[in-house]
Amino acid sequence: MFYLDLDSPKRKYVKNAAKYTLSLKQYKAFFNLLYTPLCLFSNKYIEDLDTSKDIVQDVFIKIWEDKIEFQNENNIKSYLYTSVKNKSIDYLQTKQYRLKDRLSIQNLEKLESEDFFSREVVIIETSIIIERAINTLPNKCANIIRLSFKNLSNIEIAMELGISLNTVKTQKKIGYKRLKPLLKDYVALVAFLFGVGTH
Amino acid sequence: MPVFHKLIHLSKQIASSLLKDKQPVRLEQSELFSDEDKAYIIKSLTEDASIKERLDLINKIDTKTDWETVKNKIVLPAKKRNWTYPAAAVLVVAVMSVYFIKFNLSTASSVKSPVISGAIEVGTNKAILTLEDGSNVTLEKGDSFNTKTVYSNGEQIVYNAKESKKSEVAYNYLTVPRGGQFSLKLSDGTKVWLNSESQLKYPITFKDGEDRKVELIYGEAYFDVTSSEDYQGAGFVVSNSRQNIKVLGTEFNVKAYKDEANIYTTLVEGKVAVSIDGVTENLLPDQQSILDTNTKSFTVGSVDVNIEISWKDGVFSFDGLTLKEIMKVLSRWYDIEVVFLNKATENEEFIGILSKDQKIEDILYTIKNFKIIKDYEIIDNTVILK
Repeated sequence: MFYLDLDSPKRKYVKNAAKYTLSLKQYKAFFNLLYTPLCLFSNKYIEDLDTSKDIVQDVFIKIWEDKIEFQNENNIKSYLYTSVKNKSIDYLQTKQYRLKDRLSIQNLEKLESEDFFSREVVIIETSIIIERAINTLPNKCANIIRLSFKNLSNIEIAMELGISLNTVKTQKKIGYKRLKPLLKDYVALVAFLFGVGTH
Repeated sequence: MPVFHKLIHLSKQIASSLLKDKQPVRLEQSELFSDEDKAYIIKSLTEDASIKERLDLINKIDTKTDWETVKNKIVLPAKKRNWTYPAAAVLVVAVMSVYFIKFNLSTASSVKSPVISGAIEVGTNKAILTLEDGSNVTLEKGDSFNTKTVYSNGEQIVYNAKESKKSEVAYNYLTVPRGGQFSLKLSDGTKVWLNSESQLKYPITFKDGEDRKVELIYGEAYFDVTSSEDYQGAGFVVSNSRQNIKVLGTEFNVKAYKDEANIYTTLVEGKVAVSIDGVTENLLPDQQSILDTNTKSFTVGSVDVNIEISWKDGVFSFDGLTLKEIMKVLSRWYDIEVVFLNKATENEEFIGILSKDQKIEDILYTIKNFKIIKDYEIIDNTVILK
């Protein structure tokens, strides 16, 4: 079967898909796409950005060195987030860490829970989509949109930025118009063709 | 992690709502989280302090430099040529500018080149406009066309809203040939995208206070209908010899090709009712009705709307379509005939995205590379899959 993952929530075809290791290009593309969110994610557990970076890099290196096989984008993301979580928890249990900070048992239990994992994945994935989408807008427009989803009213935004109410309205309109196709495309963000064998 | 893909999907839905300044309804309805966690997620995404904290962290992450670090630590495949990876050809992805990723087609071409005689062009923006007096105007990129009521720059056509409303309703037709696509804006502001091999009949202006009626004579169209509220409550009706759709300000896609027994209506936003001979089905967003015109019955189900409407944004998305079905779509865009020499390949299924601006040869080459077909041949406008 010819398989090009759409990152679709429908899994029915995934079962048939063969697993393959990544090409260097795909590997680099995933690094570019996921390095920042994964660092943020690890930092949620260990609250130390530099160590978070080391953890994420180690996870990426392991994928390559061990030639780990994947089916599709979700499959890779799931692997990466889970590995980063495990490594982050491991770090919290090292001597090195425990000498510095003390983590209560309750806190560790909370960090190890599925709920914490799910919640943080959603927060980070969502915020990265929003941030990347807004970054494609012109500055003025981007600032207004940022303020608007902090639940500021148009008048409040106008006052905050020292511009007229009409400017806020027009810029908002422009912003939404430009964001709309981007949001549709987002579903097709990374489409990967994972090879097929003869069938 | 069985629910992981649900988390990713939900994230997209929340981002989409927030960016549109709407309530993240999908999160509120989600069964994945407790109310407490839902509130926490919203707070983390919208509260000033959380956003700032995250941005500060993002600014401290240098992906480029760290990629170099990782790259220097791994063994690159150049050193071990016999790597297990089967030459992965990747099609094309159209994405947001921030992380546009484009993969080249595999270039391992020790294989004999296929026979190609005659060039097949990629489709373009083009259409034929039939005016109320029956005369035809060809609209193509680079040509502009201008009258009191209508203006076209050769890529789209816009009807003037201010033109006086005559008592007699005059109709125009827009016909998009194979190998074409076109968009138009009707006098009420409704936008319509027409796919290859489609024809739409519509009045130059709509009569006040009456339902706005257009007819999709054949083919596929995407409608972004201006709200009835902005139009004195007048509904909008898309008819077809086989089905009617009544709408009240919404976005949806209709596919009604002459050579297909089914009519597909996909709702993106708002509310529509599809009907045939007194049978009516109401659609909700993300739902699609399939009308089997032989039995005159509707089937309604949920679909990924982005896949259904991607054609208007420059890509074809396929979710489990067979090669035969895909070739039908491609034949309209590239204006080609397709012949399968090996019937077994017709039912190979695909999931994926094809950019509409690539050459047909590139697509065929990829399919060949995956050994789904042995070879292909192009003779004039006929593609023969072997």
